[in-house]
Amino acid sequence: MLDRRDFIKAQAVAAAAAAGGLSLPAAAQTSMVAGEDAQLIWSKAPCRFCGTGCSVMVATKDNRVVATHGDMQAEVNRGLNCVKGYFLSKIMYGQDRLTQPLLRMRDGKYHKDGEFRPVTWDEAFDEMASQWKRVLKEKGPEAVGMFGSGQWTIWEGYAASKLMRAGFRTNNLDPNARHCMASAAVAFIRTFGMDEPMGCYDDFEHADAFVLWGSNMAEMHPILWTRITDRRLAHHHVKVAVLSTFEHRSFELADIPMIFEPGTDLAILNYIANHIIQTGRVNKAFVEKHCNFRLGQKDIGYGLRPESVLEVRAANAKDPTDSKPMSFDEFAQFVSEYTLDKTAELSKVPKERLLALAEMYADPKTKVMSLWTMGFNQHVRGVWVNHMVYNLHLLTGKISEPGNSPFSLTGQPSACGTAREVGTFAHRLPADMQVTNPVHRSHVEEGWKIPKGLLPGKIGYHAVLMDRMLKDGKLNAYWIMVNNNLQAAPNTDNETYPGYRNPNNFIVVSDAYPTVTAAAADLILPAAMWVEKEGAYGNAERRTHFWHQLVTAPGEARSDLWQIMEFSKRFTTDEVWPKEILDANPDFRGKNLFDVLFRNGNVDRFPLADLDPAYDNRESKAFGFYVQKGLFEEYAAFGRGHGHDLAPFDTYHEVRGLRWPVVEGKETKWRYREGLDPYVPKGEEVRFYGNPDGKANLFAFPYEPPAESPDKDFDLWLVTGRVLEHWHSGSMTMRVPELYKSMPMALVYMHPDDAQARGLRRGSEVRVMSRRGEMRTRVETRGRNRPPRGVVFVPWFDSARLINKCTLDATDPISKQTDFKKCAVKIVSV
Amino acid sequence: MHPDAPDRPGDAPAEWHIASILVHLRPERSPGVRAAIAALGDVDIHVEERGRMVVTVEGPHEGRIADRMTAIHLMDGVMSAVMVFHHAEPLAPRTS
Repeated sequence: MLDRRDFIKAQAVAAAAAAGGLSLPAAAQTSMVAGEDAQLIWSKAPCRFCGTGCSVMVATKDNRVVATHGDMQAEVNRGLNCVKGYFLSKIMYGQDRLTQPLLRMRDGKYHKDGEFRPVTWDEAFDEMASQWKRVLKEKGPEAVGMFGSGQWTIWEGYAASKLMRAGFRTNNLDPNARHCMASAAVAFIRTFGMDEPMGCYDDFEHADAFVLWGSNMAEMHPILWTRITDRRLAHHHVKVAVLSTFEHRSFELADIPMIFEPGTDLAILNYIANHIIQTGRVNKAFVEKHCNFRLGQKDIGYGLRPESVLEVRAANAKDPTDSKPMSFDEFAQFVSEYTLDKTAELSKVPKERLLALAEMYADPKTKVMSLWTMGFNQHVRGVWVNHMVYNLHLLTGKISEPGNSPFSLTGQPSACGTAREVGTFAHRLPADMQVTNPVHRSHVEEGWKIPKGLLPGKIGYHAVLMDRMLKDGKLNAYWIMVNNNLQAAPNTDNETYPGYRNPNNFIVVSDAYPTVTAAAADLILPAAMWVEKEGAYGNAERRTHFWHQLVTAPGEARSDLWQIMEFSKRFTTDEVWPKEILDANPDFRGKNLFDVLFRNGNVDRFPLADLDPAYDNRESKAFGFYVQKGLFEEYAAFGRGHGHDLAPFDTYHEVRGLRWPVVEGKETKWRYREGLDPYVPKGEEVRFYGNPDGKANLFAFPYEPPAESPDKDFDLWLVTGRVLEHWHSGSMTMRVPELYKSMPMALVYMHPDDAQARGLRRGSEVRVMSRRGEMRTRVETRGRNRPPRGVVFVPWFDSARLINKCTLDATDPISKQTDFKKCAVKIVSV
Repeated sequence: MHPDAPDRPGDAPAEWHIASILVHLRPERSPGVRAAIAALGDVDIHVEERGRMVVTVEGPHEGRIADRMTAIHLMDGVMSAVMVFHHAEPLAPRTS
């Protein structure tokens, strides 16, 4: 036994040494599995959690996932796994997994105030369809809606988009990704005319400087963080700057640590632009050839309810997206007021650090990678800060080449693949097309083989507006899938919960676990998750990757894809489409929505014979054709030849993902530069081809203060966020006993002097209170997060301690993404 | 409830778990990190080179592995600790 243990230990060491590039004999991946485990069946799948998109090897035995490990063949993670990924095999096996539909009932029938009772799928869909039909008849398409997710697989989001837009004729479809990266997506489109980063993770091995703008990668993107760490430690000239409103784990690697006053990142970015201009380091040739300058709208409000005093007082709350052309000289004049002195005073960052940061961008010899997540995106000026960082890369021409890379990280596994590329936002269609553009709608109508003029052109309700409309009784039939919005949304007690329990509304939640959101619903549908279905995700570097169904979902749990398609069978065109459309298209009269949307000659094109016989596929067997392949190929047709080219379906089951555009079988690592991107014509050097003129747009915006700042009554900034051990609302990771044990509750992290000033100490039980609500927890003064005086940090994973009762539902007025990083609270002893 | 949900820990058979963890650390902080890792008791350091270190953790269940990995990840001087290899087997032959 001892010999065998030594052997396995040697294997373990060899594998880690190989993964880390240390000098030891490399171990082949096949030898990683010893003894009994060699009998297991191993398949690849992307991790279920964050937007990094690590590939893991998944072992199954007797229809159960028994082990996972990092995939050595995957470029993204090279065999590494973070602690959440380590426990992937356990996320499906929580004790309270939902296995049958549950309907609130009283006296044998549905009742809003009834108790949850098990029902069959038929009974569940019968009640749901009758509620949908009632609402459609009484109020029309604008009163039904769906809230989806960046955790939907690509085909689930695509099927949902078809059902909502073409079936029910409403754009009231939005993903929880609205809370996560709407600001990034909007700024990409406004700057480059196309969404998503131009670079990729390969930039980590080419950059000389890394700047974290509001991102704690050490905890939230630990695998990517190892790549930055490797680069920094192996190359002495490489520097790392970390900007945040509180000190966190990423500061351990920081050469330039910077704690700034919340919201003043706007001023810091303008200062750097000013510094680049004042010191003569603008790349004039690049700017003249490839850039336009625009003056953006200022004083645009805070996305609160229109009657809020902050909205009434704002000069331009009604047209926040407006802008007009300006010259380079006017731009230079605009940012010139952001001097080092003024910026240091506003941000409270020492001058020498601001200057060192500005020099990283200004020095033409330094290749810079800028990285950001929620600190930038969850910001009442989130679109502005995204624009402002592009300004720096464009002024210096440091873009679209290895190591020079403004890079927006994402938090969900398919925020890019599903929410953005498929277009499950209230304003978007597939492949960056927009619902307000009649040409785009017409193109989608052709692709979907539906009548001309069927698709609605009015932008639907966004996430926060959906909650307001539910509360106000204007949105009455609502389906929530793969997300936990009652825990995730801002100001939930006042703006989210009342809408769910509004007697006029029927709320459906599809989930694998009884989350707080599910508990507030009227009908709960049990969902299959992760490798219980065939899936596809798109990660933050434009990588599309697939997995097979590896095990069967428990009990009556079914995938979101099955649920969407099966529900569509309950409707005919006569019930949901207007008379004029049917009169003009008599062939569509009396048709079942399932036939119109999914048996349209595209989606049902591939027979069951195309399935890989090694894997089961429940949806395809239920509907009689290869559902996922048909949906993917219909969807992919929108992007091919338009810069969004995806490879053929079957290819993705063979490879560890490919970064689009995939042209002639080759992925694209860097977009917009000749020689690296096949879409850039010879001789152009750089072309931002998403915009008709081939140029990128720089925008001038001022510093403006947050919606709410501390005052004498509520004297502390509240910043919310995540922790290493838990993913988002914790509905999966809190059910893994090992992760729960290591981080069981959300604490309030505060400065010891702030604690002492309130008569508190580490471990004291306190109430965190805002003008909107409160939560109870304990004080942590020594933990991994170290806020400066005046700031507290509370993570939001804990369903027993809902910090979003305190947050403010202020959004960026352009992207409609909530600012979860800045509101005012006070802390008092219990 | 999922039919495959794990039994209570008390019912679980005795197991031996081993994992290797790749640690990134500031090279100049190595002595302190090494001392802190040694103090954990069940972690062995195998190689260290240019700020990268390979350690193994052994224990009776995967919770122990995760605890150690998280503890190392959060140590002063450490940038990250990530899992590479994990293996588990029963301590005694299965009875079934």
